[in-house]
Amino acid sequence: MVVPSTYGGAAANAAGPGKRHPVEFSASAGEYFRIWIVNLALTIVTLGIYSAWAKVRKRRYFYGHTRIDGESFEYRANPIAILKGRLIAVALFAAFYAISHFAPLYIWALYLLLLFAGPWLVVRSLAFNAYNTAYRNVRFAFSGTYRTCLGLVLGYGLLTVVTFGLGFPFLRRRLIQFAAESHSYGTTRFALPEGFKKPFIRPYFVVIGVSILLGVVLVAFFAAVSVIAGAPAKAGADKPGWMPTAIIAGVVVFYAFLFLQVAYIRARTVNAVWNHLSVGPLRFESALRARDLIWLYFSNFVAVVLTVGLATPWAAVRAMRYRASKTTVIASDTLDGFAQAEAQRVSVAGEEVADFFDIDIAL
Amino acid sequence: MIEFEAAYYDGRTSARKPVRVRGYTLAIQIVGEGLRLDVPLAKVHVDPPVGGTRRALHLPDGAQLQTDDHAAVEALFPRAHLLEGWVHRLERHWLYALAAIALVAAFTWWSVVDGLPLAAKVAAGFVPVTWEEKLGEQTLGFFEGKLCRPSALDAARQQALQRRFARLTAGLTDGYAYRLLPRDCRAVGANAFALPGGAVVITDALVKLAQSDDQISAVLAHEIGHVRHRHGLRMALQAAGLAALAAALFGDATSITSLATTLPVALLQSGYSRELEAEADDYAFQRLTEIGLSPKAFAEIILLLEKDHKSRSGGESKDYFSTHPATAKRIQRALSAP
Repeated sequence: MVVPSTYGGAAANAAGPGKRHPVEFSASAGEYFRIWIVNLALTIVTLGIYSAWAKVRKRRYFYGHTRIDGESFEYRANPIAILKGRLIAVALFAAFYAISHFAPLYIWALYLLLLFAGPWLVVRSLAFNAYNTAYRNVRFAFSGTYRTCLGLVLGYGLLTVVTFGLGFPFLRRRLIQFAAESHSYGTTRFALPEGFKKPFIRPYFVVIGVSILLGVVLVAFFAAVSVIAGAPAKAGADKPGWMPTAIIAGVVVFYAFLFLQVAYIRARTVNAVWNHLSVGPLRFESALRARDLIWLYFSNFVAVVLTVGLATPWAAVRAMRYRASKTTVIASDTLDGFAQAEAQRVSVAGEEVADFFDIDIAL
Repeated sequence: MIEFEAAYYDGRTSARKPVRVRGYTLAIQIVGEGLRLDVPLAKVHVDPPVGGTRRALHLPDGAQLQTDDHAAVEALFPRAHLLEGWVHRLERHWLYALAAIALVAAFTWWSVVDGLPLAAKVAAGFVPVTWEEKLGEQTLGFFEGKLCRPSALDAARQQALQRRFARLTAGLTDGYAYRLLPRDCRAVGANAFALPGGAVVITDALVKLAQSDDQISAVLAHEIGHVRHRHGLRMALQAAGLAALAAALFGDATSITSLATTLPVALLQSGYSRELEAEADDYAFQRLTEIGLSPKAFAEIILLLEKDHKSRSGGESKDYFSTHPATAKRIQRALSAP
């Protein structure tokens, strides 16, 4: 039996003040470290087969420690489905690798295949994750179709190519909108109104503008330096002594700048999406700050390097703790009225394949 | 009798109902406001425990109980999830965590030092020689015309080189179609390289650099060693294995953190190629002796190449990052070869 939702779908989303529920994340780095390392050791001992169970345990730990209004999330994936997905992923990846090495002339065929398979994998993985996530014993669901996703990727992909990449933010924005609005909690659809578009696109263009400006300044600076240094670059003459240092400094500056860009765009776009998203009587508030993310990513990176990887679980807990601490759910009604949807089972985890090929549109 | 507090969800809505659960030998009784339910224990499915997270008891018809009373759940379902229950106990103690660290470290060390090279060697054995030839042809196609032009050496000189090469490959029954391709590749200077499948390229600059033809034979023997031991293929397989290992170990770190594994992976790869160079050297020493030449010629040409390289790059050669083993070591090995 399916009980209708008492909220009447996304239309009822109230903009007024409501009860604020901060997202709580109560995982401890020490406990997660033990889970992580023991499961890693078991994965090795079982030659990788256990990795599916390890994934489910790690995810259940994270979901179980994420709470809203005192109730935690549940991850219900069946490890066997994940194992199947992983076996398919390994086989496909091996084939991909073999062809790219032994027949690189046919690599275009592989990329063409990936272009058409990518959207399918994305849709399947979103569906698998949604179906296997529950809160208050009500499952999430994803109803996006392969056809829609493929259309977006081809259309906006073409736009990105003909605009030399300037269309990329629009591709991403459209995919995020597709992903968000195809989700529902029980029978209640998520809604992402038009208002998110502008704040989502703006950070990309800020970055493009700053990059151009910085490029001009750098070129001017180096031109000035070489003039002052007395134009040493005569053909065939000795390379000036400062050249290698300058090149290394240039590479470091480039990566540092890339790093800042990634953190800035991530903070702003995540906020843009979550501050406009709603589901039934629930709205969200996301207050990620670029400078916090820069510090978070940088310190995680340093910690992981210095501990030869042992700080990985600590870094993961820390990242999630930050994210939770900056996210709030605002409820204009109780959280009791969401209705369970008729379940449509999603079997093999497309996510495993998507993971291998690094395909992701999650936010 | 076991008694505990729980939240009840009927599975139709997200409404939460606080209940009191009483557990008996064969059934549980759920009592809450307007609710009184008896469920046989056999119909209750309990999730395996993970850390200190809340326990969920799945009831028939999609209903669910959630509780933080771990002791009560354990007492009610002592034999559920034997395997994951055991894993859960391992996860709770630092001692087991330390043992796991030792195991992971030992495995990683072994894989990098012995496991991956061995696995690549075994896997390479399954790749047909025709595939390797394809791989070689495609690499050659990339060189020809762009990096290299046909050799500018006169025909007599080229024929002498071909005769030397034929002598080196005579009687090798390993299925490879060996052929020598003298080329004029200005960009790479004095150099020689082996392509998978049997093609060996030698540059005009190297031919001119050599003081004797025995020295050229020494270089060619080294390149034949690369072909015979399928080094091009093994390198590719090892690189893939290394990437897979890094992803498996640290895959769930955030993507920026995973950048941290790039540098160590690159360093390890140059370590691997140094090992393969040593293997090709060994083959060269053996082959030279077999056809009546002295491995000393190898030492001589290595020394010449080193000098040439230094004068071209105008600096010290850097042993730590170079893909070839330290020159002094190679010369010493050549001189002490039987």
